[in-house]
Amino acid sequence: MRKRTFQNAILIGCGAILLALWTIPIAWAVLTSLKDEKEVLAYPPTVIFEATLKNFHAVLFGPTNIVANLTSSVIIALAATALTIVIAVPAAYAFARLRLRAKRPLGFYVLATQLVPPIGLIIPYFLILNRIGWMDSYKGLVLVYMTFSLPFAIWLLVSYFEDIPREMEEAALLDRASRWQAFWHVVLPQVRGAIAVTVIFVFLNAWNEFLFAVVLGGANVKPVTVSMYNYINTEQTQWAQLAAAALIAMLPVIVLGLLAQKHIVSGLTAGAVKGVGRR
Amino acid sequence: MVAPGVLALAATTTFPLLYLVWQSLQNINLAMPGMDRYVGLENYVRMWDDARFWAALGFTIVYAASTVLLQLVLGLGMALLILRIPRAQWAFRIAAILPIVIAPVVAGLFWRSLMLTPDFGVVDFASKALGLGSHNWLGDPALARVSVIAIHTWQWTPFVFLYMLAALAALPSELYEAARIDRASAWRRFVHITLPLIRPAIVVVVILRMTVALSAFAAIYAATGGGPGTATEILNLYAYRVSFAELSLGYGASAAVVLLAMTMAVAAVLFGLRRSS
Repeated sequence: MRKRTFQNAILIGCGAILLALWTIPIAWAVLTSLKDEKEVLAYPPTVIFEATLKNFHAVLFGPTNIVANLTSSVIIALAATALTIVIAVPAAYAFARLRLRAKRPLGFYVLATQLVPPIGLIIPYFLILNRIGWMDSYKGLVLVYMTFSLPFAIWLLVSYFEDIPREMEEAALLDRASRWQAFWHVVLPQVRGAIAVTVIFVFLNAWNEFLFAVVLGGANVKPVTVSMYNYINTEQTQWAQLAAAALIAMLPVIVLGLLAQKHIVSGLTAGAVKGVGRR
Repeated sequence: MVAPGVLALAATTTFPLLYLVWQSLQNINLAMPGMDRYVGLENYVRMWDDARFWAALGFTIVYAASTVLLQLVLGLGMALLILRIPRAQWAFRIAAILPIVIAPVVAGLFWRSLMLTPDFGVVDFASKALGLGSHNWLGDPALARVSVIAIHTWQWTPFVFLYMLAALAALPSELYEAARIDRASAWRRFVHITLPLIRPAIVVVVILRMTVALSAFAAIYAATGGGPGTATEILNLYAYRVSFAELSLGYGASAAVVLLAMTMAVAAVLFGLRRSS
Protein backbone atom coordinates (compact mmCIF):
# COMPACT_ATOMS: atom_id res chain seq x y z
CA MET A 1 0.00 0.00 0.00
CA ARG A 2 2.76 2.40 0.94
CA LYS A 3 4.49 1.55 -2.32
CA ARG A 4 1.33 2.56 -4.21
CA THR A 5 1.13 5.99 -2.60
CA PHE A 6 4.84 6.54 -3.21
CA GLN A 7 4.41 5.63 -6.88
CA ASN A 8 1.45 7.95 -7.17
CA ALA A 9 3.38 10.81 -5.59
CA ILE A 10 6.15 10.36 -8.18
CA LEU A 11 3.60 10.22 -10.99
CA ILE A 12 1.91 13.40 -9.85
CA GLY A 13 5.29 15.09 -9.38
CA CYS A 14 6.42 14.20 -12.92
CA GLY A 15 3.07 15.30 -14.27
CA ALA A 16 3.32 18.65 -12.52
CA ILE A 17 6.81 19.25 -13.94
CA LEU A 18 5.60 18.45 -17.47
CA LEU A 19 2.62 20.73 -17.09
CA ALA A 20 4.93 23.51 -15.95
CA LEU A 21 7.33 22.98 -18.87
CA TRP A 22 4.51 23.30 -21.38
CA THR A 23 2.80 26.26 -19.87
CA ILE A 24 5.62 28.42 -18.41
CA PRO A 25 6.68 30.08 -21.69
CA ILE A 26 3.09 31.07 -22.41
CA ALA A 27 2.22 31.99 -18.84
CA TRP A 28 5.38 34.07 -18.72
CA ALA A 29 4.35 35.87 -21.89
CA VAL A 30 1.04 36.72 -20.20
CA LEU A 31 2.91 38.13 -17.19
CA THR A 32 5.33 40.05 -19.40
CA SER A 33 2.49 41.60 -21.38
CA LEU A 34 1.19 43.11 -18.14
CA LYS A 35 4.54 44.60 -17.15
CA ASP A 36 6.16 47.95 -17.63
CA GLU A 37 9.09 47.74 -20.11
CA LYS A 38 11.53 48.41 -17.23
CA GLU A 39 9.95 45.69 -15.11
CA VAL A 40 10.60 43.19 -17.94
CA LEU A 41 14.34 43.69 -17.59
CA ALA A 42 14.34 43.34 -13.80
CA TYR A 43 16.62 40.77 -12.29
CA PRO A 44 15.70 38.41 -10.75
CA PRO A 45 12.56 38.08 -12.93
CA THR A 46 9.54 39.35 -11.02
CA VAL A 47 6.28 37.48 -10.53
CA ILE A 48 4.65 40.09 -8.32
CA PHE A 49 4.48 43.57 -9.82
CA GLU A 50 2.09 46.36 -10.54
CA ALA A 51 0.09 45.14 -13.53
CA THR A 52 -0.70 47.52 -16.36
CA LEU A 53 -2.80 47.23 -19.49
CA LYS A 54 -0.90 49.93 -21.33
CA ASN A 55 0.92 47.44 -23.59
CA PHE A 56 -2.38 46.12 -24.88
CA HIS A 57 -3.55 49.68 -25.33
CA ALA A 58 -0.41 50.57 -27.28
CA VAL A 59 -0.66 47.47 -29.46
CA LEU A 60 -4.31 48.11 -30.34
CA PHE A 61 -4.48 51.91 -30.44
CA GLY A 62 -0.90 53.22 -30.39
CA PRO A 63 1.19 54.43 -33.35
CA THR A 64 2.58 50.94 -33.97
CA ASN A 65 -0.74 49.12 -33.58
CA ILE A 66 -1.40 45.78 -35.22
CA VAL A 67 -5.03 46.31 -36.23
CA ALA A 68 -4.25 46.52 -39.95
CA ASN A 69 -2.15 43.38 -39.63
CA LEU A 70 -4.95 41.52 -37.89
CA THR A 71 -7.30 42.57 -40.68
CA SER A 72 -4.85 41.30 -43.31
CA SER A 73 -4.54 37.99 -41.50
CA VAL A 74 -8.32 37.62 -41.26
CA ILE A 75 -8.80 38.34 -44.98
CA ILE A 76 -6.05 35.98 -46.10
CA ALA A 77 -6.92 33.16 -43.73
CA LEU A 78 -10.64 33.31 -44.53
CA ALA A 79 -10.13 33.50 -48.29
CA ALA A 80 -7.57 30.69 -48.30
CA THR A 81 -9.82 28.52 -46.13
CA ALA A 82 -12.92 29.10 -48.26
CA LEU A 83 -11.11 28.35 -51.53
CA THR A 84 -9.44 25.30 -50.06
CA ILE A 85 -12.67 23.80 -48.79
CA VAL A 86 -14.53 24.39 -52.05
CA ILE A 87 -11.85 22.51 -54.00
CA ALA A 88 -10.84 19.94 -51.40
CA VAL A 89 -14.23 18.55 -50.35
CA PRO A 90 -15.31 17.19 -53.75
CA ALA A 91 -11.77 16.03 -54.49
CA ALA A 92 -11.54 14.13 -51.21
CA TYR A 93 -14.95 12.58 -51.76
CA ALA A 94 -13.94 11.43 -55.22
CA PHE A 95 -10.71 9.94 -53.90
CA ALA A 96 -12.58 8.05 -51.21
CA ARG A 97 -15.36 6.75 -53.44
CA LEU A 98 -14.75 6.54 -57.12
CA ARG A 99 -13.01 3.46 -58.38
CA LEU A 100 -10.49 5.28 -60.45
CA ARG A 101 -7.61 3.30 -61.83
CA ALA A 102 -5.37 6.24 -61.07
CA LYS A 103 -6.51 6.46 -57.44
CA ARG A 104 -3.31 5.19 -55.88
CA PRO A 105 -0.80 7.35 -57.78
CA LEU A 106 -3.11 10.34 -57.39
CA GLY A 107 -3.28 9.75 -53.65
CA PHE A 108 0.48 9.59 -53.46
CA TYR A 109 0.71 12.75 -55.51
CA VAL A 110 -1.53 14.63 -53.06
CA LEU A 111 0.57 13.38 -50.16
CA ALA A 112 3.84 14.25 -51.84
CA THR A 113 2.70 17.80 -52.50
CA GLN A 114 1.95 18.10 -48.81
CA LEU A 115 5.53 17.26 -47.95
CA VAL A 116 7.17 19.92 -50.11
CA PRO A 117 9.32 22.17 -47.89
CA PRO A 118 8.08 25.79 -48.16
CA ILE A 119 11.50 27.09 -49.17
CA GLY A 120 11.19 25.05 -52.36
CA LEU A 121 8.09 27.05 -53.28
CA ILE A 122 9.06 30.46 -52.02
CA ILE A 123 11.95 30.87 -54.47
CA PRO A 124 9.92 30.20 -57.64
CA TYR A 125 6.91 32.13 -56.30
CA PHE A 126 9.11 35.13 -55.61
CA LEU A 127 9.88 35.40 -59.32
CA ILE A 128 6.44 34.33 -60.53
CA LEU A 129 4.58 36.87 -58.39
CA ASN A 130 7.07 39.56 -59.34
CA ARG A 131 6.50 38.82 -63.00
CA ILE A 132 2.69 38.89 -62.83
CA GLY A 133 2.65 41.84 -60.43
CA TRP A 134 1.05 39.98 -57.53
CA MET A 135 3.73 40.71 -54.96
CA ASP A 136 2.48 42.22 -51.71
CA SER A 137 -1.13 41.48 -52.66
CA TYR A 138 -3.94 39.45 -51.11
CA LYS A 139 -4.48 37.32 -54.22
CA GLY A 140 -0.77 36.48 -54.30
CA LEU A 141 -0.60 35.28 -50.71
CA VAL A 142 -3.91 33.41 -50.92
CA LEU A 143 -2.68 31.60 -54.03
CA VAL A 144 0.56 30.64 -52.30
CA TYR A 145 -1.25 29.51 -49.13
CA MET A 146 -3.20 27.02 -51.25
CA THR A 147 0.04 25.14 -51.77
CA PHE A 148 0.03 23.87 -48.22
CA SER A 149 -3.65 24.03 -47.30
CA LEU A 150 -5.06 22.14 -50.28
CA PRO A 151 -3.10 18.87 -50.01
CA PHE A 152 -3.54 18.98 -46.24
CA ALA A 153 -7.31 19.40 -46.49
CA ILE A 154 -7.71 16.70 -49.14
CA TRP A 155 -5.66 14.24 -47.13
CA LEU A 156 -7.54 14.94 -43.90
CA LEU A 157 -10.97 14.76 -45.53
CA VAL A 158 -10.35 11.50 -47.41
CA SER A 159 -10.02 9.62 -44.12
CA TYR A 160 -13.38 10.98 -42.96
CA PHE A 161 -15.16 10.19 -46.23
CA GLU A 162 -13.83 6.65 -46.12
CA ASP A 163 -15.52 6.13 -42.76
CA ILE A 164 -19.00 6.83 -44.13
CA PRO A 165 -20.91 3.70 -45.15
CA ARG A 166 -21.69 3.57 -48.86
CA GLU A 167 -25.21 2.12 -48.53
CA MET A 168 -27.10 5.38 -48.23
CA GLU A 169 -25.65 7.02 -51.30
CA GLU A 170 -25.99 3.79 -53.25
CA ALA A 171 -29.67 3.80 -52.36
CA ALA A 172 -29.89 7.41 -53.55
CA LEU A 173 -28.13 6.49 -56.78
CA LEU A 174 -30.63 3.67 -57.34
CA ASP A 175 -33.37 6.28 -56.96
CA ARG A 176 -31.82 7.97 -59.99
CA ALA A 177 -30.11 10.73 -58.11
CA SER A 178 -27.00 11.97 -59.88
CA ARG A 179 -23.56 11.62 -58.31
CA TRP A 180 -23.67 15.31 -57.44
CA GLN A 181 -27.13 15.07 -55.92
CA ALA A 182 -26.11 12.08 -53.84
CA PHE A 183 -23.01 13.92 -52.75
CA TRP A 184 -24.88 17.12 -51.89
CA HIS A 185 -27.95 15.69 -50.13
CA VAL A 186 -26.71 12.42 -48.67
CA VAL A 187 -22.97 12.59 -48.10
CA LEU A 188 -22.31 16.22 -47.17
CA PRO A 189 -24.69 16.30 -44.19
CA GLN A 190 -22.77 13.38 -42.70
CA VAL A 191 -19.38 15.05 -42.89
CA ARG A 192 -20.31 18.47 -41.50
CA GLY A 193 -18.24 17.81 -38.39
CA ALA A 194 -15.27 16.67 -40.44
CA ILE A 195 -15.45 19.76 -42.60
CA ALA A 196 -15.62 21.94 -39.50
CA VAL A 197 -12.45 20.30 -38.17
CA THR A 198 -10.74 20.75 -41.54
CA VAL A 199 -11.78 24.41 -41.66
CA ILE A 200 -10.27 24.97 -38.23
CA PHE A 201 -6.95 23.34 -39.14
CA VAL A 202 -6.67 25.12 -42.49
CA PHE A 203 -7.51 28.47 -40.92
CA LEU A 204 -5.03 27.86 -38.13
CA ASN A 205 -2.19 26.99 -40.51
CA ALA A 206 -2.92 30.00 -42.70
CA TRP A 207 -3.09 32.31 -39.68
CA ASN A 208 0.22 31.06 -38.31
CA GLU A 209 2.15 31.09 -41.59
CA PHE A 210 5.28 33.22 -41.54
CA LEU A 211 7.84 32.44 -44.28
CA PHE A 212 5.60 33.15 -47.29
CA ALA A 213 4.19 36.23 -45.58
CA VAL A 214 7.59 37.73 -44.78
CA VAL A 215 8.99 37.22 -48.29
CA LEU A 216 5.92 37.72 -50.49
CA GLY A 217 4.04 40.25 -48.36
CA GLY A 218 5.13 43.82 -47.84
CA ALA A 219 3.86 47.20 -46.80
CA ASN A 220 0.32 46.62 -48.10
CA VAL A 221 -0.22 43.07 -46.97
CA LYS A 222 1.55 42.29 -43.74
CA PRO A 223 -0.03 39.46 -41.75
CA VAL A 224 0.09 39.64 -38.01
CA THR A 225 2.86 37.02 -37.66
CA VAL A 226 5.20 39.35 -39.52
CA SER A 227 4.07 42.42 -37.58
CA MET A 228 5.73 41.01 -34.44
CA TYR A 229 8.95 42.39 -35.87
CA ASN A 230 7.59 45.93 -35.54
CA TYR A 231 8.58 45.74 -31.89
CA ILE A 232 12.10 44.52 -32.51
CA ASN A 233 14.73 46.88 -33.79
CA THR A 234 18.41 47.40 -33.32
CA GLU A 235 18.19 50.24 -30.79
CA GLN A 236 15.59 48.86 -28.49
CA THR A 237 13.23 45.93 -28.36
CA GLN A 238 9.91 46.41 -26.62
CA TRP A 239 9.44 42.98 -25.13
CA ALA A 240 6.30 43.81 -23.16
CA GLN A 241 4.54 45.22 -26.22
CA LEU A 242 5.78 42.29 -28.27
CA ALA A 243 4.30 39.89 -25.72
CA ALA A 244 0.99 41.76 -25.74
CA ALA A 245 0.87 41.80 -29.55
CA ALA A 246 1.77 38.10 -29.73
CA LEU A 247 -0.96 37.17 -27.26
CA ILE A 248 -3.60 39.15 -29.17
CA ALA A 249 -2.39 37.59 -32.42
CA MET A 250 -2.53 34.09 -30.95
CA LEU A 251 -5.90 34.51 -29.23
CA PRO A 252 -7.96 33.35 -32.27
CA VAL A 253 -5.92 30.19 -32.79
CA ILE A 254 -5.87 29.35 -29.09
CA VAL A 255 -9.66 29.73 -28.93
CA LEU A 256 -10.08 27.61 -32.09
CA GLY A 257 -7.68 24.99 -30.76
CA LEU A 258 -9.55 24.72 -27.47
CA LEU A 259 -12.94 24.65 -29.21
CA ALA A 260 -11.78 21.85 -31.50
CA GLN A 261 -9.94 20.06 -28.71
CA LYS A 262 -12.21 16.99 -28.65
CA HIS A 263 -12.21 16.78 -32.44
CA ILE A 264 -8.45 17.11 -32.63
CA VAL A 265 -8.06 14.08 -30.41
CA SER A 266 -10.77 11.99 -32.08
CA GLY A 267 -9.50 12.99 -35.51
CA LEU A 268 -6.06 11.86 -34.48
CA THR A 269 -7.41 8.53 -33.26
CA ALA A 270 -9.08 7.81 -36.57
CA GLY A 271 -5.84 8.33 -38.42
CA ALA A 272 -3.62 6.63 -35.87
CA VAL A 273 -5.41 3.44 -35.08
CA LYS A 274 -8.06 2.72 -37.67
CA GLY A 275 -6.62 4.33 -40.76
CA VAL A 276 -3.33 2.54 -40.86
CA GLY A 277 -4.47 -1.00 -41.45
CA ARG A 278 -6.67 0.04 -44.31
CA ARG A 279 -4.21 1.87 -46.48
CA MET B 1 -14.71 15.80 -59.10
CA VAL B 2 -11.04 14.98 -58.67
CA ALA B 3 -10.06 17.15 -61.58
CA PRO B 4 -10.32 20.63 -59.98
CA GLY B 5 -8.29 19.49 -56.99
CA VAL B 6 -5.57 17.88 -59.04
CA LEU B 7 -5.44 20.78 -61.48
CA ALA B 8 -5.18 23.25 -58.61
CA LEU B 9 -2.34 21.22 -57.08
CA ALA B 10 -0.55 20.96 -60.39
CA ALA B 11 -0.83 24.69 -60.97
CA THR B 12 0.07 25.84 -57.46
CA THR B 13 2.69 23.25 -56.54
CA THR B 14 4.02 21.13 -59.37
CA PHE B 15 4.52 23.96 -61.82
CA PRO B 16 6.46 26.15 -59.34
CA LEU B 17 8.61 23.14 -58.41
CA LEU B 18 9.52 22.54 -62.05
CA TYR B 19 10.29 26.22 -62.27
CA LEU B 20 12.49 25.83 -59.17
CA VAL B 21 14.52 23.13 -60.88
CA TRP B 22 14.89 25.39 -63.92
CA GLN B 23 15.96 28.27 -61.64
CA SER B 24 18.60 26.07 -60.06
CA LEU B 25 20.25 25.77 -63.49
CA GLN B 26 20.47 29.54 -63.86
CA ASN B 27 22.63 32.26 -62.49
CA ILE B 28 20.03 34.63 -61.01
CA ASN B 29 21.29 37.47 -58.89
CA LEU B 30 18.65 39.86 -57.61
CA ALA B 31 21.26 42.59 -57.25
CA MET B 32 21.89 42.39 -61.01
CA PRO B 33 18.47 42.14 -62.69
CA GLY B 34 18.42 41.25 -66.35
CA MET B 35 21.72 39.38 -66.08
CA ASP B 36 20.15 35.94 -65.67
CA ARG B 37 21.80 33.25 -67.73
CA TYR B 38 21.76 29.48 -68.07
CA VAL B 39 24.74 27.90 -66.33
CA GLY B 40 23.85 24.21 -66.34
CA LEU B 41 24.97 22.40 -63.22
CA GLU B 42 27.33 25.15 -62.11
CA ASN B 43 25.31 25.92 -58.96
CA TYR B 44 25.47 22.27 -57.91
CA VAL B 45 29.21 22.11 -58.52
CA ARG B 46 29.63 25.24 -56.42
CA MET B 47 27.49 23.72 -53.67
CA TRP B 48 29.62 20.56 -53.65
CA ASP B 49 32.63 22.70 -52.69
CA ASP B 50 30.71 24.90 -50.23
CA ALA B 51 31.58 24.00 -46.64
CA ARG B 52 28.60 26.03 -45.42
CA PHE B 53 26.23 23.85 -47.46
CA TRP B 54 27.64 20.67 -45.93
CA ALA B 55 27.41 22.16 -42.45
CA ALA B 56 23.75 23.07 -43.11
CA LEU B 57 23.06 19.58 -44.45
CA GLY B 58 24.71 18.06 -41.38
CA PHE B 59 22.75 20.21 -38.97
CA THR B 60 19.51 19.49 -40.86
CA ILE B 61 20.07 15.77 -40.28
CA VAL B 62 20.99 16.29 -36.62
CA TYR B 63 18.04 18.64 -36.11
CA ALA B 64 15.45 16.39 -37.75
CA ALA B 65 16.70 13.17 -36.16
CA SER B 66 17.10 14.58 -32.66
CA THR B 67 13.84 16.53 -32.54
CA VAL B 68 11.80 13.59 -33.86
CA LEU B 69 13.45 11.12 -31.49
CA LEU B 70 13.02 13.45 -28.51
CA GLN B 71 9.39 14.16 -29.37
CA LEU B 72 8.66 10.46 -29.75
CA VAL B 73 10.36 9.36 -26.52
CA LEU B 74 9.04 12.26 -24.44
CA GLY B 75 5.57 12.25 -26.00
CA LEU B 76 5.13 8.50 -25.59
CA GLY B 77 6.56 8.64 -22.06
CA MET B 78 4.17 11.42 -21.12
CA ALA B 79 1.22 9.58 -22.63
CA LEU B 80 2.05 6.43 -20.65
CA LEU B 81 2.41 8.53 -17.51
CA ILE B 82 -0.78 10.54 -17.94
CA LEU B 83 -2.74 7.39 -18.78
CA ARG B 84 -2.13 6.35 -15.16
CA ILE B 85 -3.60 9.52 -13.68
CA PRO B 86 -6.95 9.62 -15.50
CA ARG B 87 -8.39 12.29 -13.22
CA ALA B 88 -5.83 14.89 -14.32
CA GLN B 89 -5.96 14.06 -18.05
CA TRP B 90 -8.11 17.03 -19.00
CA ALA B 91 -5.50 19.48 -17.69
CA PHE B 92 -2.80 17.92 -19.83
CA ARG B 93 -4.99 17.78 -22.91
CA ILE B 94 -5.70 21.49 -22.62
CA ALA B 95 -2.09 22.40 -21.81
CA ALA B 96 -0.97 20.32 -24.79
CA ILE B 97 -3.11 22.34 -27.20
CA LEU B 98 -1.34 25.61 -26.39
CA PRO B 99 2.14 25.01 -27.87
CA ILE B 100 0.65 23.21 -30.88
CA VAL B 101 -1.59 26.06 -32.00
CA ILE B 102 0.88 28.87 -31.43
CA ALA B 103 2.65 30.18 -34.53
CA PRO B 104 6.24 28.88 -34.67
CA VAL B 105 7.51 32.43 -35.16
CA VAL B 106 5.82 33.45 -31.91
CA ALA B 107 7.21 30.40 -30.13
CA GLY B 108 10.68 31.32 -31.36
CA LEU B 109 10.31 34.92 -30.20
CA PHE B 110 8.97 33.93 -26.77
CA TRP B 111 11.90 31.61 -26.22
CA ARG B 112 14.46 34.02 -27.57
CA SER B 113 13.36 36.84 -25.28
CA LEU B 114 11.44 35.66 -22.26
CA MET B 115 13.14 32.32 -21.75
CA LEU B 116 16.70 32.46 -23.01
CA THR B 117 17.97 36.05 -22.76
CA PRO B 118 21.00 35.94 -20.44
CA ASP B 119 19.99 38.95 -18.30
CA PHE B 120 16.30 38.46 -17.64
CA GLY B 121 15.28 35.13 -19.17
CA VAL B 122 13.54 32.52 -17.07
CA VAL B 123 15.75 29.67 -18.20
CA ASP B 124 18.88 31.66 -17.47
CA PHE B 125 17.51 32.53 -14.05
CA ALA B 126 16.75 28.88 -13.35
CA SER B 127 20.21 27.87 -14.53
CA LYS B 128 21.82 30.36 -12.16
CA ALA B 129 19.57 29.30 -9.30
CA LEU B 130 20.61 25.68 -9.88
CA GLY B 131 24.25 26.72 -9.77
CA LEU B 132 24.86 26.07 -13.48
CA GLY B 133 25.66 29.69 -14.17
CA SER B 134 24.53 32.18 -16.77
CA HIS B 135 25.04 31.23 -20.42
CA ASN B 136 24.70 32.88 -23.77
CA TRP B 137 22.04 30.40 -24.84
CA LEU B 138 21.59 31.67 -28.37
CA GLY B 139 24.98 33.33 -28.83
CA ASP B 140 27.25 30.35 -28.29
CA PRO B 141 27.25 28.08 -31.38
CA ALA B 142 26.93 24.74 -29.56
CA LEU B 143 24.37 26.02 -27.05
CA ALA B 144 22.39 27.75 -29.80
CA ARG B 145 22.06 24.42 -31.61
CA VAL B 146 20.81 22.77 -28.43
CA SER B 147 18.43 25.68 -27.86
CA VAL B 148 16.76 25.54 -31.28
CA ILE B 149 16.38 21.76 -30.93
CA ALA B 150 14.82 22.32 -27.49
CA ILE B 151 12.40 24.94 -28.84
CA HIS B 152 11.15 22.65 -31.61
CA THR B 153 10.85 19.77 -29.15
CA TRP B 154 8.94 21.97 -26.70
CA GLN B 155 6.47 23.05 -29.34
CA TRP B 156 5.70 19.68 -30.90
CA THR B 157 6.03 17.04 -28.17
CA PRO B 158 2.44 17.83 -27.06
CA PHE B 159 1.25 16.77 -30.53
CA VAL B 160 2.97 13.39 -30.20
CA PHE B 161 1.62 13.15 -26.65
CA LEU B 162 -1.98 13.64 -27.80
CA TYR B 163 -1.52 11.26 -30.70
CA MET B 164 -0.04 8.55 -28.46
CA LEU B 165 -2.63 9.10 -25.74
CA ALA B 166 -5.34 8.45 -28.32
CA ALA B 167 -3.53 5.39 -29.69
CA LEU B 168 -2.94 3.95 -26.22
CA ALA B 169 -6.52 4.60 -25.09
CA ALA B 170 -7.80 2.61 -28.07
CA LEU B 171 -5.86 -0.54 -27.14
CA PRO B 172 -7.89 -3.50 -25.85
CA SER B 173 -7.53 -3.78 -22.08
CA GLU B 174 -8.11 -7.58 -22.04
CA LEU B 175 -4.57 -8.18 -23.24
CA TYR B 176 -3.15 -6.34 -20.27
CA GLU B 177 -5.29 -8.23 -17.80
CA ALA B 178 -4.06 -11.52 -19.21
CA ALA B 179 -0.48 -10.29 -18.96
CA ARG B 180 -1.02 -9.09 -15.41
CA ILE B 181 -2.36 -12.49 -14.42
CA ASP B 182 0.79 -13.96 -15.93
CA ARG B 183 2.72 -11.52 -13.71
CA ALA B 184 4.55 -9.88 -16.55
CA SER B 185 6.49 -6.83 -15.38
CA ALA B 186 5.47 -3.35 -16.47
CA TRP B 187 8.50 -3.10 -18.77
CA ARG B 188 7.77 -6.45 -20.40
CA ARG B 189 4.12 -5.54 -20.84
CA PHE B 190 5.26 -2.38 -22.59
CA VAL B 191 7.80 -4.06 -24.86
CA HIS B 192 5.80 -7.16 -25.75
CA ILE B 193 2.23 -5.87 -25.83
CA THR B 194 2.03 -2.09 -26.09
CA LEU B 195 4.89 -1.40 -28.44
CA PRO B 196 3.90 -3.88 -31.19
CA LEU B 197 0.29 -2.67 -31.03
CA ILE B 198 1.10 1.00 -31.37
CA ARG B 199 3.83 0.48 -33.95
CA PRO B 200 1.59 1.70 -36.80
CA ALA B 201 0.81 4.86 -34.81
CA ILE B 202 4.52 5.39 -34.19
CA VAL B 203 5.28 5.08 -37.90
CA VAL B 204 2.59 7.62 -38.75
CA VAL B 205 3.77 10.06 -36.13
CA VAL B 206 7.40 9.72 -37.24
CA ILE B 207 6.39 10.47 -40.85
CA LEU B 208 4.43 13.54 -39.78
CA ARG B 209 7.07 14.87 -37.43
CA MET B 210 9.97 14.15 -39.79
CA THR B 211 8.44 16.14 -42.63
CA VAL B 212 7.59 19.02 -40.30
CA ALA B 213 11.13 19.04 -38.89
CA LEU B 214 12.57 19.07 -42.42
CA SER B 215 10.46 22.07 -43.35
CA ALA B 216 11.00 23.94 -40.07
CA PHE B 217 11.87 27.57 -40.53
CA ALA B 218 10.09 30.26 -38.51
CA ALA B 219 11.08 29.21 -34.98
CA ILE B 220 14.80 29.10 -35.82
CA TYR B 221 14.49 32.29 -37.85
CA ALA B 222 12.92 34.04 -34.87
CA ALA B 223 15.27 32.61 -32.25
CA THR B 224 18.67 32.86 -33.92
CA GLY B 225 18.15 33.80 -37.57
CA GLY B 226 20.47 30.89 -38.39
CA GLY B 227 23.28 32.27 -36.28
CA PRO B 228 25.49 32.86 -34.48
CA GLY B 229 27.32 32.96 -37.80
CA THR B 230 25.87 29.95 -39.56
CA ALA B 231 25.69 27.66 -36.51
CA THR B 232 21.94 26.96 -36.56
CA GLU B 233 21.44 27.00 -40.31
CA ILE B 234 19.34 24.10 -41.45
CA LEU B 235 18.99 23.78 -45.23
CA ASN B 236 15.81 25.88 -45.20
CA LEU B 237 17.56 28.80 -43.57
CA TYR B 238 20.65 28.32 -45.72
CA ALA B 239 18.57 28.47 -48.91
CA TYR B 240 16.60 31.42 -47.55
CA ARG B 241 19.67 33.44 -46.60
CA VAL B 242 21.50 32.69 -49.83
CA SER B 243 18.41 33.65 -51.85
CA PHE B 244 17.06 36.66 -50.01
CA ALA B 245 19.95 38.04 -47.95
CA GLU B 246 22.76 37.38 -50.44
CA LEU B 247 20.34 37.64 -53.37
CA SER B 248 21.75 34.60 -55.24
CA LEU B 249 18.37 33.17 -56.14
CA GLY B 250 19.69 30.58 -58.57
CA TYR B 251 22.15 29.19 -56.07
CA GLY B 252 19.49 29.21 -53.35
CA ALA B 253 17.20 27.28 -55.68
CA SER B 254 19.77 24.51 -56.06
CA ALA B 255 19.95 24.18 -52.25
CA ALA B 256 16.14 24.00 -52.14
CA VAL B 257 16.18 21.26 -54.79
CA VAL B 258 18.55 19.21 -52.63
CA LEU B 259 16.27 19.67 -49.61
CA LEU B 260 13.25 18.72 -51.70
CA ALA B 261 14.94 15.54 -52.89
CA MET B 262 15.91 14.71 -49.32
CA THR B 263 12.37 15.21 -48.00
CA MET B 264 10.89 13.06 -50.74
CA ALA B 265 13.46 10.31 -50.14
CA VAL B 266 12.77 10.26 -46.41
CA ALA B 267 9.03 10.23 -47.08
CA ALA B 268 9.37 7.35 -49.56
CA VAL B 269 11.35 5.28 -47.06
CA LEU B 270 8.87 5.97 -44.27
CA PHE B 271 5.89 5.17 -46.49
CA GLY B 272 7.56 1.91 -47.41
CA LEU B 273 7.82 1.17 -43.70
CA ARG B 274 4.18 2.08 -43.24
CA ARG B 275 2.99 -0.26 -45.94
CA SER B 276 5.02 -3.15 -44.57
CA SER B 277 3.74 -2.64 -41.02
